[in-house]
Amino acid sequence: MGPTRRARQAGRLPPWRRARRVLLLACCICLVPAGVSWVNALSAPRNVGLGVTSVEWLRQNGGNSLVSEIENEYYTLTAPSKGGAPLRSLPQVGIAAAGGSGQGAVEAGYRPPNVVPLIHPALPGEGVWKKAAANAGPRPPVLLTSFRSDPEYPQFVAGVAWIDSSRTTLAYVPGLAEPPPPLTHRGPAEVPQGMRRRVVATFNGGFPLETSNAGLIYRGKVVEAMVNGIATVVEYRDGRVDIVKWESGAGAPANVWFAKQNLPPIIDEGRLNPNLSDGPAWGETVNNAVRVWRSGIGVDAHGNLLYAAANYQTVESLAKVLRRAGAVRALELDINEDWTSFISYRHPGAGSPSNLLPEMYRPPERYLTPDERDFFAVYLRPGERW
Amino acid sequence: MVRLPREISPGAAARRALLADLLIALALALAAIALAAGIGIVGFAALLVLLALGAWTGVEAAIRRLRRPPRSPTSRGAG
Repeated sequence: MGPTRRARQAGRLPPWRRARRVLLLACCICLVPAGVSWVNALSAPRNVGLGVTSVEWLRQNGGNSLVSEIENEYYTLTAPSKGGAPLRSLPQVGIAAAGGSGQGAVEAGYRPPNVVPLIHPALPGEGVWKKAAANAGPRPPVLLTSFRSDPEYPQFVAGVAWIDSSRTTLAYVPGLAEPPPPLTHRGPAEVPQGMRRRVVATFNGGFPLETSNAGLIYRGKVVEAMVNGIATVVEYRDGRVDIVKWESGAGAPANVWFAKQNLPPIIDEGRLNPNLSDGPAWGETVNNAVRVWRSGIGVDAHGNLLYAAANYQTVESLAKVLRRAGAVRALELDINEDWTSFISYRHPGAGSPSNLLPEMYRPPERYLTPDERDFFAVYLRPGERW
Repeated sequence: MVRLPREISPGAAARRALLADLLIALALALAAIALAAGIGIVGFAALLVLLALGAWTGVEAAIRRLRRPPRSPTSRGAG
């Protein structure tokens, strides 16, 4: 055997070991651009933790199905069991009873009827509307209540907010990262300083555009092509707000100021969507039957907004909560504890912000600092007194 | 005229093999990045494989060390 051959054999690794080395090197090479992208995501302005930012980064960079699968498994494994000890009291919601049975006097304007509790005997204050703000006067713009949402799970409490559309306007506020760039007039991604005098409530938006497979019109311009048949929160140029099943095509009708779509309607003309089961129409996210924090928004028969949120909800149970509160049309908004927020402001100037439910994990100051996700802000109409 | 084989040291042979492996790895990585849905999923998968291979290599090294016969006291410092 010649010296060259001997040397070659001495430096030769077994094939499987070389294959392992190739794989190791390939992984190291792949990690370089991925690491750069991840560090960029972490260094962008954000108000959520490292874990949430990393998961969001993975979702936005091809890992959405993987994250959803892991979430499905996790939530299925940690699903609550039925029954359990009954609650003795409900969490404190709102600051004062709205007065009367809820069927307000004519001169005071329309008041929603109290929500009829599902579980008997009812707990003190269950389903009774309360003012969200101190000194809100005889016609509070926002009322809050809570009730146990599912007889099979008597420990689950849903929080519901009613928003008087005759006294308020709704604004769509883009977040720092959602909708994704490019977006003209993105704004401060928080309640603008100039509007804080009039803000009475803020709440989470819908799924990111990437996962909702739906459209968005912002300031009268199409950001993402609208999709027919999808439930849509619409504000018209005259200030009217509605929730509709979109049938106006991909473009922006001249009378629409903003339109945010999210999944098919969960309630349409007073009836639950008969197809609340899973399917591609429900976005690339956790299955509809998985019990998780969920939120939704609807309109009652008088055109007032109703927001609902609770932990351990399926899409169907959320729809039932909204219907029980009086919604005739409704859609699901964002899900998961990281994104579900309804905040009312108890004093003018965005003073004393308060979460709808104490279990809501994001701080009540969430929308007074720039936020990643888009959200809705409810303002008193110009000329309306606090 | 007979051409004599060039002298290649074991070190040089190992370096050549490493270079060849590096080129194959680069091609593999580029293919993965081009074909995957996004860089995030590529990085996540690479991290998992890296951890698995790292654990494998570590276990292998530990087993090799355990199997190696202990050095005799006389051989110490003999070189």
